[in-house]
Amino acid sequence: MKKLAFLVLLIMILNPSLMADSFSLSLYQNMTDNLFQNSLVESDQLSSLSFYVDKNLSRFSVFSEGTYSYLYNNPNLTYYLQDVGLDYLHPLNEKSAVYFSLGGRGAFYRSDFSDYNYLAVNFFTAFKSYTSPTSIINVNYSLEYKNYKSSLFDSLSQALLVSFDKYFQTRTTFKGEISWGYKFFLHPFLSQQTPPMTDYPASYKGRGKGRFTGGGYSPFITKPDGDGQGIQVFSLSGLIAQGLGNKIGLNLTGMRQWTLSGENPFTYIQEFYSVENPSYDRFSWFGTQWGSQLTILMPWNIQFKLGYTRTQKEFPGIESLNLEGESSGITREDRRKQVDLRAEKNFPRFSLYLSYYYIMNHSNDPFFEWTGHFFSVGIEWNFLSGGRK
Amino acid sequence: MRRRGQLYLVFILIFSGLVLGQKTPHFYNVDKEIRVEGPIQEINMEPRYVDTSPFLIIKLKDTKTQQMYNIELSPVWFFEQNFYKGEVLVVVGSLYVSGDNNLNIIAREVRFRGETLILRDKHGFPNWRGGKMKRQGRKKGKEF
Repeated sequence: MKKLAFLVLLIMILNPSLMADSFSLSLYQNMTDNLFQNSLVESDQLSSLSFYVDKNLSRFSVFSEGTYSYLYNNPNLTYYLQDVGLDYLHPLNEKSAVYFSLGGRGAFYRSDFSDYNYLAVNFFTAFKSYTSPTSIINVNYSLEYKNYKSSLFDSLSQALLVSFDKYFQTRTTFKGEISWGYKFFLHPFLSQQTPPMTDYPASYKGRGKGRFTGGGYSPFITKPDGDGQGIQVFSLSGLIAQGLGNKIGLNLTGMRQWTLSGENPFTYIQEFYSVENPSYDRFSWFGTQWGSQLTILMPWNIQFKLGYTRTQKEFPGIESLNLEGESSGITREDRRKQVDLRAEKNFPRFSLYLSYYYIMNHSNDPFFEWTGHFFSVGIEWNFLSGGRK
Repeated sequence: MRRRGQLYLVFILIFSGLVLGQKTPHFYNVDKEIRVEGPIQEINMEPRYVDTSPFLIIKLKDTKTQQMYNIELSPVWFFEQNFYKGEVLVVVGSLYVSGDNNLNIIAREVRFRGETLILRDKHGFPNWRGGKMKRQGRKKGKEF
């Protein structure tokens, strides 16, 4: 077996047509004073090491990306993400093209979050066309199936997005976007085949005060048994971008999302730093989002971005609880303000990244009344490239 | 016997690679790198290399010389960025003259709207060629 592996490695190194076209490594160091993004402030550091490799085969490309993330104060949240995929770009004419991608993803968390381990298959396609030299139409469709270790979260989701943008000679761009999405939780209930979670999520540890009833069961479960449950959302969004010379760009964005049908099947939703959460995603809320971003190309070719975002989200199906864990009879609603700073500097073979976020989250559920500082510094090396063609 | 078979396999695969990996006519020549700046005149997807998707070709008029250049960007940039006629770009890349006496630039760096797109490193090797739109969502550290 070792010989075979060695042969494969030798062939890949010596054979130009099999060698990866690009290979990169990245290392990020992240720090936060509120890992679980709730009122129980807990700080932690997270180190992430990623690799990315791809190979172009005629008009197809295959790619793979893996990320290992280690948390220092909560090592049981350490995880590994692996993506693999194949994609294809096909021009329809001089002004239009379609893109297809088929991918797979595996997420593997250590003990505290192993219920979130999942395998996913996703399909993505996009169509883009210049309807005039200064206007573009984009249509994207995505379909994804996720299979979790805890089958409560198993889901099938799809989304369709149509956008149209127009550029004016004043260096102003207007963009409008319509989006529809549907997520179907296949069996968001506890069955005999589904073992209950062995513990409460780490973010709840130490909270107590009767938040949970029905000891031993996951706080996510609402039904003892039943059918699958779907959530359908629709959104409208707009963007105005203004170029101020070649070195400064300013944009304003607005978005309104509605829940057309369904609601969260769980009693509880949560998000936390760096973990993709099945109960807290774009399908879990309705509300508005406003944002602005200033982009500046600074001396030494440093790209700098300053952003400010405000969101107001209501979570249908999720009741706001008091600190004793009793229902207040109203739907949970969060209002969030976020300031972010990002800088990027590219060198011949590597790039440096720096980012800082400050978030203030106000909620009618006092447990989710929180603020947090999130700092990240990273480096990406681009080691290998197939040729200069 | 089995070892010999493995050896043949290695030779065949390496040889096939050398044949299949042969280069196409245009290459990034670092000695012919130039910088141009001007408004976009036209945007097209055009065939450039054998057995690859057509490239994104931006026709750009240099403000200083009034020369027209065809800026070559790999196909992935068609989906990664929106370019528009009239928008001013600063492009750094390798110049070559095609048979029809057109001036072409294999782009290495494109600056516009306060951003810099790095398409190749300073030796001309492409950055981020594959994965295409998958990489659009790549996170530079934590995003919210």
